[in-house]
Amino acid sequence: MRVFRNLYGAGPLHLVGVLLSFAVAAYALSRALDLTGAPDRILLWLGGAIVAHDLVLFPIYALLGLLAAGVLVPGGRRTRLRIAALNHLRVPALASGLLLLVWFPLVANRAPGGFMRTTGLSSDVYFGRWLLITAVLFAGSALVLAVRARGLAREE
Amino acid sequence: MRFPRLPSVGPFRESFWRSPLRGPWLTSVLGSALFPLLAICSITGFLSHAAYEPDLGGNAIFGGPGPGNGFDIYGFDWPTTPSWLYAATQGLHVITGITAIPILLAKLWSVIPKLFENPPARSVAHALERLSLVLLVGGALFTFATGVINIQLWYPFGFSFVSAHYYGAILFLAGLVLHIALKVPVILEAFRERGVMAPLREDLAHTVPEKEREAAAPTLTRRALLGGVGVASVGIGAMATGQVVGGPLADLAVLAPRGRGRGPGPNDFPVNRTFGAVGIERNKVGPDWRLMLHTSDERRATLRREDLLAMEQVTADLPIACVEGWSSTQTWTGVRLADLARMAGVDDPQTVEVSSLQPTGRLREVTLNRGQIGDPESMLALKVNGVDLSLDHGYPARVIVPALPGVHCTKWVGKMVFA
Repeated sequence: MRVFRNLYGAGPLHLVGVLLSFAVAAYALSRALDLTGAPDRILLWLGGAIVAHDLVLFPIYALLGLLAAGVLVPGGRRTRLRIAALNHLRVPALASGLLLLVWFPLVANRAPGGFMRTTGLSSDVYFGRWLLITAVLFAGSALVLAVRARGLAREE
Repeated sequence: MRFPRLPSVGPFRESFWRSPLRGPWLTSVLGSALFPLLAICSITGFLSHAAYEPDLGGNAIFGGPGPGNGFDIYGFDWPTTPSWLYAATQGLHVITGITAIPILLAKLWSVIPKLFENPPARSVAHALERLSLVLLVGGALFTFATGVINIQLWYPFGFSFVSAHYYGAILFLAGLVLHIALKVPVILEAFRERGVMAPLREDLAHTVPEKEREAAAPTLTRRALLGGVGVASVGIGAMATGQVVGGPLADLAVLAPRGRGRGPGPNDFPVNRTFGAVGIERNKVGPDWRLMLHTSDERRATLRREDLLAMEQVTADLPIACVEGWSSTQTWTGVRLADLARMAGVDDPQTVEVSSLQPTGRLREVTLNRGQIGDPESMLALKVNGVDLSLDHGYPARVIVPALPGVHCTKWVGKMVFA
């Protein structure tokens, strides 16, 4: 048992669990590749989803966040007001970004023809709605910051 | 056995990751919040598969009936009570899925430094565990992305959605079950060390990394981060709830595809396939339309719409509930399916295969089970809200059965085969 632990790095139950998980996953993947008629597209979407999140979406929002923090709270100038300003920018930006991410097909009006055939409605309203929500979020956040600003400055 | 280190540059250097908030406690809280949502989303997803009764007739969207689909759920008939069952299960599926998205993104943010772990593998076990994260993260992103895109009626996949979403979910669950089993000790330790709630009470001055490490000065407390994620979840979940529940809540669904009425009229509730989209010739649904009742080997009756209207009518308030997570309850009037079976000369029908006039489309023929035929509120509807069905809603006649998935409520019915 000790030999196994030394070679493998965990107990035998760990290996059993990993192998079971891989077996189920291999079954599911083989069924998906068999049934959907476009195995290359499945693999593209599976791999692409990881790349799109880890190497595109995350770096973009992390860099924007760093940029905002660098401008609003530069080193040595950590005041409560500046930190609050950063967060009053983060909240509407993240909320608006989340809505765009989730409802992207509608907001970007990716399938107007299909949408019309299916629902009998036009899908060109969503971009305007998203823009309006975004504007309200930023304006509301700025308003709250303005109300808080005097109190925050006094606390310094 | 020793594994090599990569050079400590860029993201492979530990101090590259600046946020003081990341740590096992934060990840544990996010994971614990995600778990019930994923559990409900998975169970309701598999129930939806069962609700399609893939073992009957041509109902299976993929794989076909019979064994060979190892994970397919057979063995029980989808019931007709309560009538809102499918609206509830499928509504929950879409609501929990969308609610989980902000938490999932936050959890991925909290563990992203692990993608650049150095050394990349510490042991065989560690290497296999990291490989299993491909299933977990890839499966999760794949399943969520396909689901979210599909409910917006956009089909850029190049593969068939249903089987891909189904088996993508099983792939994800294979990774998830292993992940939970391996991480429960980590979660328990984090909560034991820091307390479940205690870090939520820290103010900004006391927001320090969970373990001593180089990090930026905090600009956000853990309470604020988790509060923000929670508000985002509830908010975006509420927008999805609008199109599930309908009524006044539909106003919440400003970005969801089904939050919009088409007008105030009795036929202005949402449609899932317009008449214009299916390619049925106009004269086939005019005065010459006939309903044909068959047994498996012969035609037993041919009925005009007036004949159907002259039969005993049943009226019921029933939801039409879509796999895409929206539903809409209306008052339907029509002829009981059981009466049509009797007219076809079948006293105790086990199944009925309902055919639509639409020339193409996978579900133009749907088979219903014994309980669905026998329910006193199961009908071939001729009217809705007191007026004739509109063409978009299936005129001259459509199937309405309690708790039946919307796509099985066949529109423009031309033929029924009782067996």
